[in-house]
Amino acid sequence: MEASWYLFVSSILFAIGIYGLLTRRNIIRMLLSAEIIFNAALLAFLSLASLDAGYGPVGGAIVVIAISLSAAEVGVIVSIAIMMFRMRRALDVYELKKFRG
Amino acid sequence: MSLLSDPLSVVFLLSSLMSVIAAVLIVHHKSIVYSAFFLSILGVGNSILFTLLGFPIIALFHLSVYVGAAVTFILFSVVMLKEAPVVEPPVKALAVIAAGALALIMMKIFSVFTAEPSFFLNYRDLTALLVTKYWFALIVAAIALVTTLIEAITLARREV
Repeated sequence: MEASWYLFVSSILFAIGIYGLLTRRNIIRMLLSAEIIFNAALLAFLSLASLDAGYGPVGGAIVVIAISLSAAEVGVIVSIAIMMFRMRRALDVYELKKFRG
Repeated sequence: MSLLSDPLSVVFLLSSLMSVIAAVLIVHHKSIVYSAFFLSILGVGNSILFTLLGFPIIALFHLSVYVGAAVTFILFSVVMLKEAPVVEPPVKALAVIAAGALALIMMKIFSVFTAEPSFFLNYRDLTALLVTKYWFALIVAAIALVTTLIEAITLARREV
């Protein structure tokens, strides 16, 4: 199977994620769409890294670190969402403006 | 027909189909809880694709850390929230056009890569690289994961 097929799947996932980000205002739904984009990026990264044996381990190492950081990012955004829900009873990202200063 | 005769191609087709359908359901399902569940299905589909590319260790790591921890964290946190009605921006047609155009442009760019992946990640190479070259990034990632753990405990206490 050519690498381009994996990259096509990655492109489709990326486009679905972008669609979700553009059409939603719910903070959790936006996070889930961003996670689709993250998965698409990982797939594209590993597809390209697998083409060269020299870059393969480097690609793997970077993806391991990226997955760890993504788990941390999910924790931060879900915490913000829960704080927002407790204080405003809303998950609309437009409500975030009211949390300034 | 020749594509279907190769078992690896069939696995690729099924896992990529699973990933794409899960992604569509994440965006379109009415319930956020189900959307979070479908994110874990997307993670499983992606892990199969990583294995096919020659990265089984990364696939295991993705399953354990991403699907097992991050997505489960979203799923359980979302259960705590009552879904409040949100007015969605009326840009669906524009978003479909933008996403479609983006996918076509990316496919055109990626069509250049016609080589077949012939790589298998050795875990010794990966750990050697992580310990020698990327040790600082590894420490930062570990600290970030500990921070997430503290956040999860703080959320569970409900005193914030």
